[in-house]
Amino acid sequence: MPDKLITEPVSKLPDFFGEQNRCLCNKELYHFFNPFSLYCNMASLPQIAIPGQRLGPLSKYSAGPGTHVQDSFIHASIAGPVVTDAAQPKIQPKPTLRVSRVISAQDLQPQNAGASDGAKFKPRYNTLPAVESNVLARVTRVQKRQATVSILVVLDESEHLTSSQTASDNDNVASILTSAANPENHSGTDELRFQALIRKEDVRAVEKDRVVMDEMFRVGDIVRGSVISLGDQSFYYITTARNDLGVVMARSEAGNMMFPISWKEMRDPVTGTGEPRKVARPF
Amino acid sequence: MADRRRVNGPPGGTRPPVFASLQESTTGAAQRAQRQRQPAELRKIFLKTGLIPTASGSSYLEFEPSASLAAARSNPKSLIPPSSALKVACTVHGPKPLPRSAAFSPNLVLTTHVKYAPFAARKRRGHIRDASERDLGVHLETALRGAIIAERWPKSGLDITLTIIEAEDDRWWGDAPDSHDASWGMMNVLAGCITAASAAIADAHIDCLDLVSGGVAALVSDDSSKSASSVPRLMLDVDPAEHRSILSACVVAYMPARDEITEIWLKGDSSKAALEKGDVRSSHEALIDGAVDAARGANTVLSEAVTESIARSIAQA
Repeated sequence: MPDKLITEPVSKLPDFFGEQNRCLCNKELYHFFNPFSLYCNMASLPQIAIPGQRLGPLSKYSAGPGTHVQDSFIHASIAGPVVTDAAQPKIQPKPTLRVSRVISAQDLQPQNAGASDGAKFKPRYNTLPAVESNVLARVTRVQKRQATVSILVVLDESEHLTSSQTASDNDNVASILTSAANPENHSGTDELRFQALIRKEDVRAVEKDRVVMDEMFRVGDIVRGSVISLGDQSFYYITTARNDLGVVMARSEAGNMMFPISWKEMRDPVTGTGEPRKVARPF
Repeated sequence: MADRRRVNGPPGGTRPPVFASLQESTTGAAQRAQRQRQPAELRKIFLKTGLIPTASGSSYLEFEPSASLAAARSNPKSLIPPSSALKVACTVHGPKPLPRSAAFSPNLVLTTHVKYAPFAARKRRGHIRDASERDLGVHLETALRGAIIAERWPKSGLDITLTIIEAEDDRWWGDAPDSHDASWGMMNVLAGCITAASAAIADAHIDCLDLVSGGVAALVSDDSSKSASSVPRLMLDVDPAEHRSILSACVVAYMPARDEITEIWLKGDSSKAALEKGDVRSSHEALIDGAVDAARGANTVLSEAVTESIARSIAQA
């Protein structure tokens, strides 16, 4: 039997938004939002939005991710906490309203960031790769003119904007890569991931004509790249032509995890042999 | 198309035999279920999201069993339940890349599958989707397509799968087939599917214009005599097993924040109905308005369920 049955007779429908706000205050989760309330000092804004909920007028805010505009009002289009990004002079005169897609512990409880609950909490990344978004991808095939990769994760833009400490990014990468290195995680799921190409001329910014793909990537490497185009029906296009882009994690031929020693070489700590790679600058 | 890959049960189903004497007996074993609710009162809805961890979004929806079904369960007089109540599980997979063979699409490609479990209805269903299940899938896709902001997800696909665990009856099981028969139960199933799918889509964080919910209204006539005075009445959220004949029914998928209908399915003869005095609407309009009211009611449950699911994920964070 269901543990709870909810109903409302049609004759007396509750006020839609009033009900939402009341039920929020009734729940114990209110205290979660206290650190958060410094973003939401405008009294009219709800703390949690559900799709279709009216958030604020377009005259006061500009619409960010997770929202849409209807009749000059910003409405939520996904369910999640409402975040107000402060106005930036010159670029963005009005504060931006957005609905957070990934509910990260860091977003909600700044004082507890990096606590041990990071292991049990697994955010679901279902953001799509967009132009200029940074992605982590595994190399699946290396050819003469291009390398095929499958995108493991799209690094969240908002995380970069809101995180004050750069260390968090590194932690993030580490957690992603350890999960990606787990063999049962990626057996036959490449079909379910977005595929992308790194063309030979997009590997690095200098000496593009001297690039030998075999000396840049090997199958199984984890690459940080930036999306340059949504591409055709099956592939995105990715570039690694920046210092902070390239191979972030690789195994040697002996199968050991290697560490970077220069922008074009990684070394096996056990055998001591070096292998050529287009290495991303470590943070 | 015959299903050659499985050992199927007998196509006619495996119902226990019902003897004519049982229907005439006074034990109440074979009594038609009676509607205990007001004409505008909906059945209670249980709706919860996130029950299937491997899917990017999921939901489970259940309608409250009718009073007679609840009574029959606690004190069974017959092997045959008097009515049934809808149970639906919905999973959303995606957004995920389109298959290699698919053409480029700048929008989200929505695919909906509605499948009855073999045991969902009184008549056994096969493992392959039949015409009515595919029909439901198309109706559901229309309902959801109007709510999803498809251009936010280029080059990706979204698979929505609904499993009907228990379906609604098309009529009371003891009734002889008559001219008013149609698959009325399917309309309730569609309304439930729309609400469940909307919750699962919200759980998967797919951009939507609004939470879209489904509602059913019907013109029913409970009078056994065929006299002219038996005018059909408008009722919301009908259980077809509770009524002698349903003349017309309407399902809508409705977005309350925008006051928009994304899908409408009207069946039967809606020309004559007894509306309240002073009601100038045609019975056709009244039927649609009734379905919208039912959808509004379902939406209160839907928005609660989505809020709960967000609160739960925040509590986990």
